[in-house]
Amino acid sequence: MARKRKPIGYYLSSGWLYLCIFMSVFGGLLPLPKWDDNDFEYTGAGLFTPGHILGTDYDGADLLSQIIHGTRNSIVIAFVSVAAAMLIGGILGITAAYRRGWVDSIVTMYFNVTLSIPTLVLVLVMVAVFSSPDPFDPSGGMPRVLVLILSLTFVIIPVLGRLARSSALSWTGRDFVLVAESMGMKKRSILMTHIVPNVVPSMMSVGFLAAGVVIVVEGGLSILGVGTNPGESWGSILAKNRGEISLIPHTTLIPALAIALTVMSLNYFGDYFREKIDGREARI
Amino acid sequence: MHETMTVSKVRGILTNLVKMIVVLFLVTFGITVLVRLLPGDPVSTLLPFGSPEQLDALRAELGLDKNVFQYYFSWLGDFVRGDFGTYYSTTADGGTPVSSMIAQTLPRTLLLMLYTTFVSLAFSIPLGILLAYRAQTRLDKTVSNVLFGLSSIPNFAIGLALAYLLGVKLDLLNPVGYIPISEGLGEHIKSMIMPVISLSLGTIATFTRLLRVDTISTLKEDFVTMASSKGLSNRWILWRHVFRPSSLTLLTSAALTMASLIGGAVVIESVFALNGFGMFLAMSIAVRQYLAIQSLVALVAIAFILFNLIVDVFYAVIDPRVRNHRGA
Repeated sequence: MARKRKPIGYYLSSGWLYLCIFMSVFGGLLPLPKWDDNDFEYTGAGLFTPGHILGTDYDGADLLSQIIHGTRNSIVIAFVSVAAAMLIGGILGITAAYRRGWVDSIVTMYFNVTLSIPTLVLVLVMVAVFSSPDPFDPSGGMPRVLVLILSLTFVIIPVLGRLARSSALSWTGRDFVLVAESMGMKKRSILMTHIVPNVVPSMMSVGFLAAGVVIVVEGGLSILGVGTNPGESWGSILAKNRGEISLIPHTTLIPALAIALTVMSLNYFGDYFREKIDGREARI
Repeated sequence: MHETMTVSKVRGILTNLVKMIVVLFLVTFGITVLVRLLPGDPVSTLLPFGSPEQLDALRAELGLDKNVFQYYFSWLGDFVRGDFGTYYSTTADGGTPVSSMIAQTLPRTLLLMLYTTFVSLAFSIPLGILLAYRAQTRLDKTVSNVLFGLSSIPNFAIGLALAYLLGVKLDLLNPVGYIPISEGLGEHIKSMIMPVISLSLGTIATFTRLLRVDTISTLKEDFVTMASSKGLSNRWILWRHVFRPSSLTLLTSAALTMASLIGGAVVIESVFALNGFGMFLAMSIAVRQYLAIQSLVALVAIAFILFNLIVDVFYAVIDPRVRNHRGA
């Protein structure tokens, strides 16, 4: 079969995501003003001001440097919490599907209980649980990024876990698994050679979507004042400048655009991989 | 044959009900555990300048001197009797009942939910059917791509862009604040336009995509070929034969989206300063109002679970095939 050319969206999305990854690793080395340096000659400068391509915020901090600095936290929070949730949720879901019985009942009940609280509400509660003892002094206690990662992981475990369970269930009934069982293959090796490799791709495609959701939720938490420290992620740059939207709208809208582009790219990949998987399944 | 089916159906509904009640108990108890895990001393946060005696009295009132089970059951006893606890404050003489604050904030959120669902369905149903009918044409491809983009933009980003464009640049609408219907329907609608658009654009995109996919697969069914070979008009076939069987996923998704807005609209409520239920909840969490958090999250979870149950029942009613598939 001739290799089909990839659609343009594929290149745009991967280009943007690679750029984000590059910025979160090497962003600090670029010859730009420091993200938290206040240039008081240019406060609230507009786009394309000399020395500040994306302008500055009301403190005179360079917006481009802030966006680049914020990339790291936004990407790290999304990646780490989704990866952790995928691992924990995957193990729980696949074990439940393969062991059945009381293990399955307990795991499913845990998923259902957690999923019966809307994501954003549960995240808000979890963030409060992990936060510093004094609600009026958010700097005490664990680092904010860690608080967010732990809370978001907890909230998406059941989403990915339930998916892993249903996907694993659909594979355990397939002919090749029955054949392997009847040939006397051990349960554990059936699990590792036949079930897990088939469950992982569909989890990956949902993982991309989940990463997009995490970035949006993180932005929402920042707007509600419980995100990362001011200016340390896209969401909190946006939240910090929101009050100035009538005077310097770009300081709010550009971080919002960065979030939107990233979510769009992640969703694109999620859809792209799902279609690939569906196509593969249709051929089996 | 028929009778056994009814028996198994009743049994299925009963099993679901029992499961639901178990989930309700576990959810509310889970919230209790989380609330008790909140760091810091809640009474000193609630009464910053209280004397030790006052603090002890409040601790006893909140039930914090009891263990987690006693605490849970005393809260539950009050909760089922409609006593959702007190929202403590230093200004209003000891505090306000949570229920009266719910009465103040919930209607706004419910209206927001209602408008958003209505607007989303009003746009996505015709659009979804149209795109399915014209599947793979240039129109379908263009609109589908636009919808994909829209569904990826976070609602607060749309909200902030609207607040700037309509609220500041064109100066058409007031970007913050809620105006109740009693102060004039026109003003009320004006205060809700931007929040509703912010929440709707994404759901319109999602709903349209769902309906489009389902409609395309319905259009391949034999009864559609049959109907068109009878010479029925395309419009008649689309609305009378195709829409209903294609609308299941859409309706499920609409109901669940609606349910999640009870607490999930909080960011938009905050962007437009609507002071709705979500913001009340977020504020309670921020300032550690134990009883309020407990009761509000429980209410949200109960609403969410009931919505799911209604969807399940509705699902079986609207499409008999689902019953048979599930029975098999």
